[in-house]
Amino acid sequence: MLMISPRMASGMQEKQYTPSLLSFFIYNPKFGPREGEEEKKILFYHPIEIEKNEKIRNVGLCEAIVQFTRTFCPTKPAKSLHTQKNRQFFHEPEENFWMVMIVRNPMVEKPNKDGKPPTVEYQEEEIIDSVYGSVLQQCYSMYKLFNGTFSRAFEAGGVELLTQKLEKFFYRYLQTLHLQSCDLLDVFGGISFFPLDKMTYLKIQSFVNRVEESLSLIKYTAFLYNDQLIWSGLEQEDMRILYKYLTTSLFPRHTEPELAGRDSPLRPEVAGNLLHYGRFLTGPANLKDPDAKFRFPRIFVNTEDSYEELHLIVYKAMSAAVCFMVNSAVDLSREFCEQLDSMVGPHLTLLASDICEQYNVNRRISGPEKEPQFKFIYFNHMNLAEKSTIHMRKTASVSLTSVHPDLMKILGDINCDFARVDEDEEIIVKAMTDYWVVGKKSDQRELYVILNQKNANLIEVNEEVKRLCATQFNNIFFLD
Amino acid sequence: MDPNSQQSGNMEEVKIFDPSILPPCLDQIDLAYSDSDVLSENHCVNEDHRMPSDPEGLLDSADPTSEESNQPQEPSSTDMQKLDIDDDRPLCAGGSETDSGKASEDSALVDNGQDDSSEFVVTVLARGKMEEQGMGMKGASSPLCDTPLGPPSHRNEDVTAESWRQHRKHVFVLSEAGKPIYSRYGSEEALSSTMGVMMALVSFVQSGDNIIRSVYSDEHTVVFMQRGPLVLVSVSSSRQSEQQLRNELLYVYNQIVSMLTQASITRIFEHKKNYDLRRLLAGSEKILDGLLDLVDSDPSLLLCAVHCLPLASSLRDSLSQILQKAITPNLVFSILIAKNQLLTIVQEKMVIDDARLEPADLHLLLNLIGASSAFQAGEIWTPICLPSFNPDCYFYAYISYLDPPECTVCLVLLSTDKEAFYSVAECKRKIEEAMQAQNALNAISKAHSYSVSQVGVSDLRHFMYKPFDVPDNHRQLTQFTSPEMEAPYGSEEEQTRLLDLYRDMHSRIHSTSRPLKLIYHVAERETLLAWVTSKFELYTCFSPLVTKTCAINAITKLLRWIKKEEDRLFIRYPPKYSTTPNPSKSSRDGH
Repeated sequence: MLMISPRMASGMQEKQYTPSLLSFFIYNPKFGPREGEEEKKILFYHPIEIEKNEKIRNVGLCEAIVQFTRTFCPTKPAKSLHTQKNRQFFHEPEENFWMVMIVRNPMVEKPNKDGKPPTVEYQEEEIIDSVYGSVLQQCYSMYKLFNGTFSRAFEAGGVELLTQKLEKFFYRYLQTLHLQSCDLLDVFGGISFFPLDKMTYLKIQSFVNRVEESLSLIKYTAFLYNDQLIWSGLEQEDMRILYKYLTTSLFPRHTEPELAGRDSPLRPEVAGNLLHYGRFLTGPANLKDPDAKFRFPRIFVNTEDSYEELHLIVYKAMSAAVCFMVNSAVDLSREFCEQLDSMVGPHLTLLASDICEQYNVNRRISGPEKEPQFKFIYFNHMNLAEKSTIHMRKTASVSLTSVHPDLMKILGDINCDFARVDEDEEIIVKAMTDYWVVGKKSDQRELYVILNQKNANLIEVNEEVKRLCATQFNNIFFLD
Repeated sequence: MDPNSQQSGNMEEVKIFDPSILPPCLDQIDLAYSDSDVLSENHCVNEDHRMPSDPEGLLDSADPTSEESNQPQEPSSTDMQKLDIDDDRPLCAGGSETDSGKASEDSALVDNGQDDSSEFVVTVLARGKMEEQGMGMKGASSPLCDTPLGPPSHRNEDVTAESWRQHRKHVFVLSEAGKPIYSRYGSEEALSSTMGVMMALVSFVQSGDNIIRSVYSDEHTVVFMQRGPLVLVSVSSSRQSEQQLRNELLYVYNQIVSMLTQASITRIFEHKKNYDLRRLLAGSEKILDGLLDLVDSDPSLLLCAVHCLPLASSLRDSLSQILQKAITPNLVFSILIAKNQLLTIVQEKMVIDDARLEPADLHLLLNLIGASSAFQAGEIWTPICLPSFNPDCYFYAYISYLDPPECTVCLVLLSTDKEAFYSVAECKRKIEEAMQAQNALNAISKAHSYSVSQVGVSDLRHFMYKPFDVPDNHRQLTQFTSPEMEAPYGSEEEQTRLLDLYRDMHSRIHSTSRPLKLIYHVAERETLLAWVTSKFELYTCFSPLVTKTCAINAITKLLRWIKKEEDRLFIRYPPKYSTTPNPSKSSRDGH
């Protein structure tokens, strides 16, 4: 079953189970207020095979918990429920629409002698609320990006349309939630920016301006290199979730053909097109194909005010990717795509190699060997900029970190401590494993460093972090 | 470890309830109280037996009016009221007694035959004695329920008002049937539906073969804890960790146990699921209120350690010697307290060999004394259970202030023999005499807590130090030392803020899943350092601009200072005495 992912502990017969999704549902208490109608409240329920009464019971509990906490503060209802076996997270993204995610606590199964059933021990303190609360909020943002708000769907086509959309989206999306590897980065939901010199940055900007001028249908543009953002015309919140989609879902799906080499059948490009390396990641896979479909995914942005529905065109050449967003009312034709391809393709190819060259020059100057071996995470709340040297690769399916999960959780704890007070702070802790973890918060910026100088003392650790700040963040003031 | 295993020849069963050292459990039947009441309650058991997951049903059963009518005749006459917790205890025992089968299983009945003499007699004796001496008990209200004194009660608050919601920490106690037992703010009646919902949540989750732990919102943490037939709920906006709130609930539970014993609570609810426990706890809300105030304001409960009053070791030794000399059979603990801090404690050898007085028990005992000014009135003889020591048995506490009318120095003598009032009171006489001879009271009155400036480290504002390396460690009473909170922590508000900061660090450093060795926290208003080693646990507070080098130097100096002062700050070698040369017979000697 989906929920079980056993990892054998070395030497022992114990089985360790990581946190996993038990259920996920969306309900609106106003849709079935009368007794006997409770089922009508439920708009989506995963897993689908759960028996009706069980669903109603579980929704009922959530309603009761929310109502109960309102006794003590009417405006701030429950966000999570902790039980021995699981954690339940509540989120009300739109009035009366509640999303609930139930995550099973990690557990250890210890076999018993004489054929007795194994003893199960739940590890109740392992899951960090802020991390999984953010994952739930992300679920909504991602749904909204591709489907718009719940209430718009309800207004347009009633409960029927809404449930249809929910089922279509979440059926697939929930399979990509890898709850065992969620961490602090999910809380930040940040964007990694590509560091660039002014000259190249201006080149990119003028490229974007030129394309937007020539193809006036384009409303917004975003430019990425190496899965890192360089330029975006979208609002920050919209870019944040679009960035998440691109880097964890769309790009990873297309890396395989790229790695496969030119002659591989996996490579979709036509050999004839030698002028540039550009291709569509959304829409037509091959422009020359007479049966090519010119359908692009639709996204919804600015849902708070102008509520825009757009076509999302993602076009890529080598490591450079550009998103063009066009009003969805316009039908995108073959001609438009060909025009775009012929105009953007050669330019982008050139630009990509420029950036690549620039990037390599920079790398040679600073030199990877010169870079101190710091493991750190940096996040800026103002522009959502995020940088991690802890995460080796982050895709939809895997998030590889180079440190022990317990240390990642300590980062999460420190982040929770920071969230309590709105002032500059520094927290240095020494873990039981003698690792040092340093957290600094200064004017909307947060920095977390993990040091494995086990015999270091507080003063030496402080010196190390100073060195890091001097090399990596020399223009940022952190509390000393 | 059970305190009596040594001399108990009869193995397990008898062990816990061996009459020689520990008092018998309290299920003597006081016939005078048991009949009418119990019978009238019995026949409504079935009606009130509802599904616990039905909040409306709970609401009904918690309806105060249905219960009010058959309240035990709360004696309005001054005479009967004096120790109504005591009076009621035989009642509960009586109640369970009608439940024939279960009572006989109870090993506490082993020595029942001779103990029918009951609690009641003892308290009457005590009162008689006090009246004889013209002391106290004016108006003869119970020392545990002298409500007219003290701050205005929160009991009649409007539970729908914003001010009620604004309280930093609510605590509720209810029975498994959803019946309200205690609420820190607002009357239990007004909150019966809220408590019904709490119980419904508990049992609903339970019905899914799961256990509810807590609920988090942006404003509150709600922690649920079930202990036997009681459910305790904390609703807190203090941002303390769940574990800390749980420990606080455990204190509340244990304080209730200290008054009733766990065994009798269990029996009462086995017998009658929807029993209204408030009948037995009448007047004791104040004790629980006091405990919760203490939990919020006194770090000793957080640290599970006892705060000793700093005292020249020669003075402390001579006080211990005075206590050591004033003994009588079955005396197990002699405790001397001044300004709510411990001066000295002497323990019976047999007891100390097998178990020790847990700080938690001492906190409960001190709270019981502190919560009631009526104890200042003279001599009190009251049963008390020390839950960590043994949750099912009573000790008999003799409590008397030695310096009326100031009432800062308090003597507590704990005996296992409930008939021992006169002989224990005689010990007090001896102690008083000896202390007078040495002018000890005068010396004690000069003792006081210290200022952090005495440490002589400029940036250090406050600290808490809890050693693990005291000699004879595992038998030692866990202690800690801490200076007075001074400016900038002079106001109550700032003191709470500093304690909250300490609590944060305490919860992180002692996290069950991710414990830490050290925390250094620089904030805008102060810099804090928490450090746990195998030898000690230390929390320090510095001015915000202290450098890390300075802080480390300061700590080195502080540790040196504590080492130098440890004889004054701590009880280093806990004294003992032997009161029961032949313990197996002693309890019957009293007859």
